Amino acid sequence: MTIMKRTYLILFLLFIAINSLNAESLTQLEGSFKTIPAIILIAVLITFVLVGVFFRAKDPADYYAAGRKISRVGSGMAIASNWMSAASVLGMAGMMYGFGYNGLAYVVGWTGGYVLLLILMAAQIRKYGKYTAPDFIGDRYYSRDLRIASAIFTILISFAYCVGQFGGIGLMFKWILGFNYAWAVIIGSSVVLLYTLISGMIGVTKNMQVQYVIIVISFVVPVFIMAFKFDYFWLLPQIGYGAAVTDIVQGIPAPNISDGIALVNAYGHDLAIVPSPEFAMPWDPSTKTTFFQWIAICFSLMVGTAGLPHVIQRFYVVPKVTDARWSVVWGLFFICIVYWTAPAYSAFGKLLSSNPDVGFLAKDAIVVYTAQLGGINTLIVGLLAAGAISAAFSTVSGLLVAGASAFSHDLYVRVINPDSTPKKQLKIARIGTVIMAVMVTVVALLRLGLIAQLVSVAFSMAACTIFPLFLLGIWWSGSNKAGAKAGLITGTVVTIIALTYFIVGLSGGSLPGQEFVSYWLNVWYFAWIGAPLAVLANIVVSLITKPTPLEIKKFLAEEVHN
Amino acid sequence: MNYKNMEPTDQYNFNIFKPRNLHGKKNRNVIFTMLVIWAVAVFGFQFLLRGIEKPTPEKSLMMFESTWPQAVNGTISSDDLQTLLFSLVHVSGKNTVQAEEQIVISEAITSVILGAMPDSIRPDVLELIASKEELKSNLADMQDQEYLGLKEEISGIENSLLFYTEPISGFSKGSLESTLLINSMKSVDPKSLSDPTFDNLPDIMKLYLIHNQSVLTDTKFLGFPFHYFYTAVFLLIMFIVLCIVYNILIEWRLKKQGVIE
Repeated sequence: MTIMKRTYLILFLLFIAINSLNAESLTQLEGSFKTIPAIILIAVLITFVLVGVFFRAKDPADYYAAGRKISRVGSGMAIASNWMSAASVLGMAGMMYGFGYNGLAYVVGWTGGYVLLLILMAAQIRKYGKYTAPDFIGDRYYSRDLRIASAIFTILISFAYCVGQFGGIGLMFKWILGFNYAWAVIIGSSVVLLYTLISGMIGVTKNMQVQYVIIVISFVVPVFIMAFKFDYFWLLPQIGYGAAVTDIVQGIPAPNISDGIALVNAYGHDLAIVPSPEFAMPWDPSTKTTFFQWIAICFSLMVGTAGLPHVIQRFYVVPKVTDARWSVVWGLFFICIVYWTAPAYSAFGKLLSSNPDVGFLAKDAIVVYTAQLGGINTLIVGLLAAGAISAAFSTVSGLLVAGASAFSHDLYVRVINPDSTPKKQLKIARIGTVIMAVMVTVVALLRLGLIAQLVSVAFSMAACTIFPLFLLGIWWSGSNKAGAKAGLITGTVVTIIALTYFIVGLSGGSLPGQEFVSYWLNVWYFAWIGAPLAVLANIVVSLITKPTPLEIKKFLAEEVHN
Repeated sequence: MNYKNMEPTDQYNFNIFKPRNLHGKKNRNVIFTMLVIWAVAVFGFQFLLRGIEKPTPEKSLMMFESTWPQAVNGTISSDDLQTLLFSLVHVSGKNTVQAEEQIVISEAITSVILGAMPDSIRPDVLELIASKEELKSNLADMQDQEYLGLKEEISGIENSLLFYTEPISGFSKGSLESTLLINSMKSVDPKSLSDPTFDNLPDIMKLYLIHNQSVLTDTKFLGFPFHYFYTAVFLLIMFIVLCIVYNILIEWRLKKQGVIE
């Protein structure tokens, strides 16, 4: 720990030194190498790797579930950090900036799902006493096939989730280093892979706690400053930005002078905007979004939250059942701190970028652009970018561990080589991590959509496949192997249809009913129908096939629901 | 584990709707109550919002609709022309406008302004606009002092343009409208407003100037439009409160029944 203290002291001194050199002036939002943010980023990444090294996994139990040594608050922070990805820190504000009220479906969807997770899943999963989602599914449905299928889905979901994160990492590296997007993604993925391999989940869990602190501080501080600077209620900017939303709706004439001081952005443009009710009014036609889409996105994200393997997996690492429950509350609270703040970025971003001279801004980077346009100190903007990268890193590391666990623990150990040694298992987990990271990098380079949208694919997949198995597996002893298979097949079919139409549409092609399917079974929210259909198929087939074995029913009744 | 020869029995049958004991029933009631509150608060509110909303036009739409027919017929007065420009500029300033629709609006603004100018100064204005466009296209490649110098040059051209446009538009220097107007003008020959290019302009204006509003969106709460506060702030607080209440209720019952998990 002495080495850790020294490291932090060095980083702190570096931080001070950088601050004293802070004389960069804003000329352009993009395109140049930004020295101070680059140094901050490197310092943060070094911290992550060091934390990973000092808290590295020593055996498979550590690697998969952190040895069940994590406290409630610590687990809550890890849940929040694991959860708060590039989609939360960058993507959500971008969605609200670009699509107005429709973006709030992401805020509500990604928080409301935790209520489902708590009351339907958390304690019961912990009571069931398994390490991974495929473990639970394989055991509950007494099926090797379902274990394999759910392991594959765990990998696919983690994969889809990672693609959006790598996109976010690419954008931030591009902004800081002035590299092109492709190199930025490759460098970012290499670093996150390195420390995930070194540390495993126990290192990841410690890292997540460090990352959470960095994410929150870096994300919240600029909003306080902007609220103060632009004369909004700054003591609680998560409420204070409400007046900015109203200003956007009603418009602000130029020049905008408060107490004799002109309110301007970093370019000197007035903080003025034409009346823009489309920013706040529900499902505004000009944003090309509809009421149905709001509901479908919100529902899909909520249900997906309760079915994401890497989120569910967090409940295995707490010591007791009651800790599983309270870690959800802590996790949700920590998440909400950021989620209350993200809309403020979109509101200030809207005001600060309203001058046409600012030009088109990439929605996914609007958080950083907003801070820049707000004339925030370069050091703080750099920290914000590093925080955004931390968010992506923390989630990616959790996802890589979940994917690697599914690969090594659920496929390799349980199916391919049950007699493997712990050393061999760890080696396989690491090989799985590398393969997955490389494949994600390749797909991320294609830039298939906005970060929040890409991540929502993973949510819909989880909602259609994993969620029904957990929901019915926990709450209905009658759900059997055949029903589970039917449900999984139904969810898979819906997923494949949505993905196929998306890919065909993206490549400029057209399938029968392309427009209809692209709207009602859109790849960003197909779980609105996929999840209920999978649940229904599971129930119907379970009712007409051989009942669940007594052992399973007994275990559920006595151990999980007693 | 071999489950093949095991006989199914009803003894351990369990589902959330038919709990096996009193504890299960109470647990079920808590879960259902939470789920109902959660669903009504999230989705019920959105359905309510949807149910009571009314398409509400912005003032700019009424200004546009009252002047556009005269502009197309070529009988527009100078006051109405300013009103028309005001409405066009206000849509042009929304950064949600799609690129192809922005082109139509920009061309309309350019045509209105240039059409109202004396023929003698129109070429000068078009030249200024073209110079500005060229300089702006070079901005992306500039750094530091070069960038700032170019910005200053562009600013000078914009001031010159403003000199020509202010008497027509009525937008004074420093106003938001004047900035938007100058930025909307393109170096294209002015078209008649009856040109087919502008056939869909009224629809574009409606798309961007009509919004779903109701008492829930028009009421202010802590500075927010109420519906925005409810969704962006209150729901998140409610989720946390629901989780805390659930945990306290469950643990209180477990303690009461002497259950150690």
